[in-house]
Amino acid sequence: MPSPEVLGPPGAEVLLLGNEAIARGALEAGLGFASAYPGTPSTEIVETLASVAKKLGIYVEWSTNEKVALEAAFAASASGVRALAAMKHVGLNVAADAFMSISYVGVRSGLLIVSAEDPSMWSSQNEQDNRFYGMMAYVPVFEPHSPAEAKEMAATALDFSEKLGTPILMTPTTRVSHTRGPVKLGQLRPRAPKGYFKKDPKRFTLIPAHARERRKAIIERWMRVKEAVNDLPFNRVEGSSRVVIVASGISYAYVREAVDRLGLDVAVAKVGTPVPLPARLVREAIAGAERVLVVEELEPVVEMQLKDLVASEGLDVEVHGKDYVGYEGEMTLDRAARAILEFMGKNPLETPWRAGNTVDLELPERPPAMCPGCPHRATYFALRKAVNSLSLKAVYSGDIGCYSLGVLPPFQEQDLILEMGGSIGAANGLARVAEGQVAIAIIGDSTFYHAGLPALANAVYNGNPLLVLVMDNRVTAMTGEQPNPSTGITAMGEKARWIPIEDVARGLGVEKVVVFDPYNLKEAFNALRDALKYVVDNKKPAVAVARRACSLYIDRIARRRGVETPLYAVVEDKCTACGICYNAFTCPAIMVKSDGKAWIDPDLCTGCGVCAQVCPFNAIVKVREGSPEWEKLWF
Amino acid sequence: MGRLSILAAGVGGQGIITLASTLARAAVASGTKALVAETHGLSQRGGSVEVHIRLGDVHAPLIAPGDADVLIGLELIEAARRVSHLRSGGLLLAADTILRPAVPGVRVPSREELVSAMRRAAGDAKVVVVPARELASKVGGLLFSNMVMLGALAGSGILEGFVGVEELERVIGTLRRREENLKAFRLGLDYCSTHCSSGRG
Repeated sequence: MPSPEVLGPPGAEVLLLGNEAIARGALEAGLGFASAYPGTPSTEIVETLASVAKKLGIYVEWSTNEKVALEAAFAASASGVRALAAMKHVGLNVAADAFMSISYVGVRSGLLIVSAEDPSMWSSQNEQDNRFYGMMAYVPVFEPHSPAEAKEMAATALDFSEKLGTPILMTPTTRVSHTRGPVKLGQLRPRAPKGYFKKDPKRFTLIPAHARERRKAIIERWMRVKEAVNDLPFNRVEGSSRVVIVASGISYAYVREAVDRLGLDVAVAKVGTPVPLPARLVREAIAGAERVLVVEELEPVVEMQLKDLVASEGLDVEVHGKDYVGYEGEMTLDRAARAILEFMGKNPLETPWRAGNTVDLELPERPPAMCPGCPHRATYFALRKAVNSLSLKAVYSGDIGCYSLGVLPPFQEQDLILEMGGSIGAANGLARVAEGQVAIAIIGDSTFYHAGLPALANAVYNGNPLLVLVMDNRVTAMTGEQPNPSTGITAMGEKARWIPIEDVARGLGVEKVVVFDPYNLKEAFNALRDALKYVVDNKKPAVAVARRACSLYIDRIARRRGVETPLYAVVEDKCTACGICYNAFTCPAIMVKSDGKAWIDPDLCTGCGVCAQVCPFNAIVKVREGSPEWEKLWF
Repeated sequence: MGRLSILAAGVGGQGIITLASTLARAAVASGTKALVAETHGLSQRGGSVEVHIRLGDVHAPLIAPGDADVLIGLELIEAARRVSHLRSGGLLLAADTILRPAVPGVRVPSREELVSAMRRAAGDAKVVVVPARELASKVGGLLFSNMVMLGALAGSGILEGFVGVEELERVIGTLRRREENLKAFRLGLDYCSTHCSSGRG
């Protein structure tokens, strides 16, 4: 839940999450439109804006993917309303086509594109550096180092964008987006949330003749941007010395603390706009310097521009960066300190920070697990049985969502995970060439709407025999249960049209569609077996929809409303300690006692009842009926 | 003002983020700068979670290895996993709770194994095992263990000069189920007032 302090009074200092701070900053600059597809670590930006949208009279939506989000936000800006589109870093790949063209046509009202980066890949499939997108598209990149700065940057970015006619790409990292820190609130400067699209086809229709003119225009714009970034308060030089540390984004926070605590005699050039490099400012900072170290995460974006500046102006200064700092993972205090000490010719082991002893005991790993009551667990359990019952060899083409956890034991029903929608796309190829194997694409409801539709149309059109299993838990669960077209609610909490996945599949021409409830294992097994048999016998695609809402989502509502859930327990005498429930089904609510018998933690049990169907000895029974309202919470 | 670095560890769903943000809000209300770095994403799915809380004269959101003044564990395995982050002479507050990872055939160490291994590794740091589950069950269940542990942290006296107990209680009062949360906080505070002050708990 977003902090209510996001709408606190001007002058107040409040604790905000970096993402909440970005939302506040955008509101201070008169934001009227925001759109996003949820993705960690970006989600709370638009979640926060959605929570205040009605109160402020602005429009906020969860879009079906990042490309749609960006296109919609652009159109708002072109119609005279300040707009924001947010996404995680890999979301910009999806939106890249739009991003490039939007740079060409430019903006009218301020347009802020936030791409939250994830060095160390806390919840991502790669750690790509999207500052390169800014270079490629001639779009300035703002990189904040704290929640407080993120708020200032978001507000300034919208002004800067409008003044120079350029979209702005802001790239907070996980450590800014998901850090809470004190933020001083400014004045809200609301603007009209409605505008008017004034036609200008020479600018806005990118046919080749117009695009050539726009190409000239954006190069000219870039020259103005390169000059203007020098005057932004996010770029500054602290101290003076013959040794200069240039620190970009969050790296500044680590460099500042390391330099202060180690008492080093260096100047620090703080860069808040890594693209384009504030060349005038940095040139002044290094004027009297002999050696410069660039400290930045991921790729040498600032380092390359600085080396280019030094080479083209023939400056007599040595520039280092990645050779001391390294490429992989996020910045840390000791990493920054070691790089600086080594660069200064000191012993890098002189940092005061040294790990203590670890325990001399083997500790079990604790990978993330599907929650108690998670319908995906039941679906995976039934799917494995259905595949085995037909003696099939399956290739499980997986996707991005909670169900990715099916990669882990005991299920191991994810053989391939690439990117959003990749499950069905790749299954098209598997279906054609993987001999003796059946291709099963596993995708969630939100991901299906995001990028699954074109790939399913492809399967129908080309007659590729594959099973698409949509795990429809009715919300975008992984990022915190945001609504999507399968929920029937909008970001702003209004009732929306539910788009049933089976209707979409039939509409696209899929001839075999089954829908089942994973909480009924027998029904799930029969439906999956039926659909698999159809694919094998008829050499055509089929779609199976596993429909059961996210148990975490329902459990949260139940707790909030005080609705009693059913409760299951193990009958001591009947339990044979076979371990099927805790080793083959692995519900986290099921514990193991010292005699190997199972015990269900009543604090964790959500009452789904699937373990009772899994137990071969009928040793798990319902010991408490849920209240009648509990059944009604599921939709 | 100096600085205080607190590493909080546990399992997704135990309320670590609520513990950390409550502490940080109370710090800001006490006039102390606070940074709280969270690792989300997959963590609400029962994975291992850590939150870095830094108070006072700080810029970096993450605590360097061996630089944590306090390690606060809501679960024993997760506390044991991070003992090396503690500085020498630091304080380790661990809830007396073990949650079995949902992994087939996993071997879970016993409470005694975990506690003695932690004491061995912690060296001259002080180790206190707090009966958080027992105390939380007095107010309404496991759910309130996080506030018991926040109370224990306040009861240890280490927050003095950074965060006031009054400010903490005021912020806890804004949470849902405020009565239970406040009670849980006070139970932890009382426990630590007697068990954390001298010698090993």
